Amino acid sequence: MTAPTGWIPVALSSEIEAGASAGAVVDGREVVVWRDTSGVAHAWEDRCPHRGMRMSFGFVRGDHIACLYHGWQYDTAGQCRYIPAHPDLDVPQTIKVPTYATKEANGIIWSTLSDAVADEATPGETAEVTPLRSLYVDCPAAFIRETLESASMPGFTEPEGETIFAAVADSVWTLTTGEDRLYIGVQPVNPSQTALHVVIAGPQATYAGAGQAHFSTWLETLRRSLEDGAPEEATSAPMTTAEVA
Amino acid sequence: MAAPAMTEAVQFTFFGSLQADSFQEFATHRARRLDLGYAFGQCSNEAVSVAVVGAHDLVDAFEMACSLGPHDCIILDVERKSGAALLSGKTKENLA
Repeated sequence: MTAPTGWIPVALSSEIEAGASAGAVVDGREVVVWRDTSGVAHAWEDRCPHRGMRMSFGFVRGDHIACLYHGWQYDTAGQCRYIPAHPDLDVPQTIKVPTYATKEANGIIWSTLSDAVADEATPGETAEVTPLRSLYVDCPAAFIRETLESASMPGFTEPEGETIFAAVADSVWTLTTGEDRLYIGVQPVNPSQTALHVVIAGPQATYAGAGQAHFSTWLETLRRSLEDGAPEEATSAPMTTAEVA
Repeated sequence: MAAPAMTEAVQFTFFGSLQADSFQEFATHRARRLDLGYAFGQCSNEAVSVAVVGAHDLVDAFEMACSLGPHDCIILDVERKSGAALLSGKTKENLA
């Protein structure tokens, strides 16, 4: 699998509340996704420069995220600003977490996994979305795509109708049945695991509640079907710590 | 606001069962991370001398990190002397 380029989805916006952090893995690279209390999302390397603890285990205080281990605090540029054991220390500029360009679009948090901002716009931008869920599947992205190309998804507003799959980009797929369309951000976790960040392209007035439950149930059925039918070589034991590191 | 850092110069000698190249690489990485000026003196598989200059707390952090050392080195003793002769009056800026 080649490393993804451009904007890569790393989390559903609605899953990262202000003041919260979470870990994500993109092609084996560990990323912390966090949102400061003013509501801005950030994606960084998930590693404290001090002792290597995952920053995703840390806690957010205002516009700083603090490492769980020794409380070192980093500002939104990744620069360490405060070391509790040395409260009077003017922390040197060399103590910094690598930060990645991050944006939010279509109810999804995207990152380039580098400090460079991708030239292209997020593919297939749509006016209004209803958040659905992130789905973690023990299958390679290529196998999921192959399955979705012939999938039949019952619509919510119109249950009958042909389902049309479209790959807007490597990282964005859509599934459309009648007036209903799922917008899917594809995050390759490793060669045998994929995360799908799914939103409904449409207003919450139409889809919140029953519509979300309808598609969420279908996605769970899809996941079971995918994992049952995954090629033998694609399924593997969960990653070990060494593989993650 | 943080108070101005007190700068000091220290000459360390780390004794033990060392891989000199590995230890130097490790110490260099830590010195750069801690924004310290540094200069190596005599290096062997029994002892490595290194002088550092920078904020007092960060010099202490350097000593702590190097006393653990890389995985292939065992540090048995650390000698610490103030006023590092290896630095010969150099500043942090012209050492790093």
